[in-house]
Amino acid sequence: MAIDENDFSFIKNEKDWDNFLKREKLKDYSKIPVKRAHVNGWVKFAFVFLRIYIVIMLALIVLGFLNII
Amino acid sequence: MGAALNGETVEQPFDINKKLEELPVEIRLRAIDRLKVARLRHRKGLLARILLVLALIGPGILVMVADNDAGGVITYAQTGSIFGLGFFIPLMVLMVPTAYLVQEMTVRLAAVTRRGHAEMIWKRYGPFWGAFSLGDLVIANSLTLVTEFIGITFGMSIFGVKPLIAVVIGIAFISTVMLTLRYHKWERASLIIAFFNMIFIPLVFFAHPDWSLVAKTFLTWHVSGGLSSLFIYVLLANIGTTIAPWMLFFQQSSEVDKGTVPEDIGAGKRDTFVGACIMATVAICIIVLTGTLVFSTGHVGSSTSTTSYNIAFILSTISKKIGTLPVELFALGLIDAGIIAAIALTASTSWAVGEAFNWPKSINLPFLEGRKFYIPGIISMLVAAAIVLIPNIPLGFLNITVQVIASIFMPAALLFLLLLVNDKEVMGKHVNTKWENASIITIMVVLVTMSSLYGLSLVFPHLF
Repeated sequence: MAIDENDFSFIKNEKDWDNFLKREKLKDYSKIPVKRAHVNGWVKFAFVFLRIYIVIMLALIVLGFLNII
Repeated sequence: MGAALNGETVEQPFDINKKLEELPVEIRLRAIDRLKVARLRHRKGLLARILLVLALIGPGILVMVADNDAGGVITYAQTGSIFGLGFFIPLMVLMVPTAYLVQEMTVRLAAVTRRGHAEMIWKRYGPFWGAFSLGDLVIANSLTLVTEFIGITFGMSIFGVKPLIAVVIGIAFISTVMLTLRYHKWERASLIIAFFNMIFIPLVFFAHPDWSLVAKTFLTWHVSGGLSSLFIYVLLANIGTTIAPWMLFFQQSSEVDKGTVPEDIGAGKRDTFVGACIMATVAICIIVLTGTLVFSTGHVGSSTSTTSYNIAFILSTISKKIGTLPVELFALGLIDAGIIAAIALTASTSWAVGEAFNWPKSINLPFLEGRKFYIPGIISMLVAAAIVLIPNIPLGFLNITVQVIASIFMPAALLFLLLLVNDKEVMGKHVNTKWENASIITIMVVLVTMSSLYGLSLVFPHLF
């Protein structure tokens, strides 16, 4: 798909193009690794709470569905 | 770049098309879209400003309109039928800031990280939470798709279309939109489909509602008839319908595919706010419509429930009072609601699976290159469509399962959203302010409590 270069005269050279790509974050992010987060403090507590919440909800829901069936 | 000629350097003309060709296909198409946005930013004048605003809208409106899905439309219709013009109209207005505050965080996350929600959870918090979120999302999306196909088949039945034909039309339409249109055109086509969701706004005028009564609900906001179990059930259903986990995943991935960057955060927020206003306006119009025409008719007293006020009863009451045209318009709205939500849910599943497994993940990919990306969404749609056609399938049970899964998923989805948007390493200066955190934590506590109670009330009907 070709575009009309005259419409994009604000990109005149390599430098403009590189700036455009950088400003618009046009790169393949799947090749850039993401660092794992440090889980500590209140976040650790929140995760424990979340696990307990999920287990309790799952148990109650299994019981509830058994009642329905 | 220059070439030596007779000892002088001659400037070669810069070839932007050649530069575009060097980019991978999905990034190339995004670059073309972004070049058009940049061109509009360079232009002066009112027309250029309007075109820029139109170019930057999309995911926010889409996610909010898709949230008014077939299940949502039925919930609002039942709410008005059972409770009339009262408590729920101001509540829907309150849902505007609630939905906006939750969803705008996904705009910032997408603009800053350029990654989807599933990818960020998987990579920042590990495979356990990543797999949990992905599994929950895919199951909930697939089951919600079943409810969308129920809406599509029911809506088409009003026009005499048989379920099998309705399902085939639905599959063909949704697949064509997803597989043949690249992101920009996909988004524009979806916005046009979303526009028809507003059919419920003119529809309300057929009912000739008493607008002074509607206005009065804001001045005398109270729970008429007290906190009955039915009221709590309908309240929880309305809140559960307004904020759903898939919305976080959909909007963040959509913003990434659109190419939203930090410079666009303001536009993304406005897009989300406009979407939230449309969502609430449509919901209010449906409640006013059925609150005016269906409330206090047919089922009263102890027999009043969401099952006795089913959509068939509501539409037949409307038909008796104001004729068949409004019912046909309502049916069209229901079909549209099912289709726009199915488009969003299918894309949401594909994006999330692609992000989790680091597959190519963009609607800019042609089908053959991006088949790994498209297949999960298409399979979930086909499974949902097939389930609707199974004779005597317990659709009520399926609907309960969808809501229950969403209620389990909601706290996790909101917690990860809050963690990510407060992560300075990820967000830099775009982290939440204290005021934003205070608002979001309040919303989270209310939503988590409500969605947990809702999930439990569905499996323990006599809990309240």
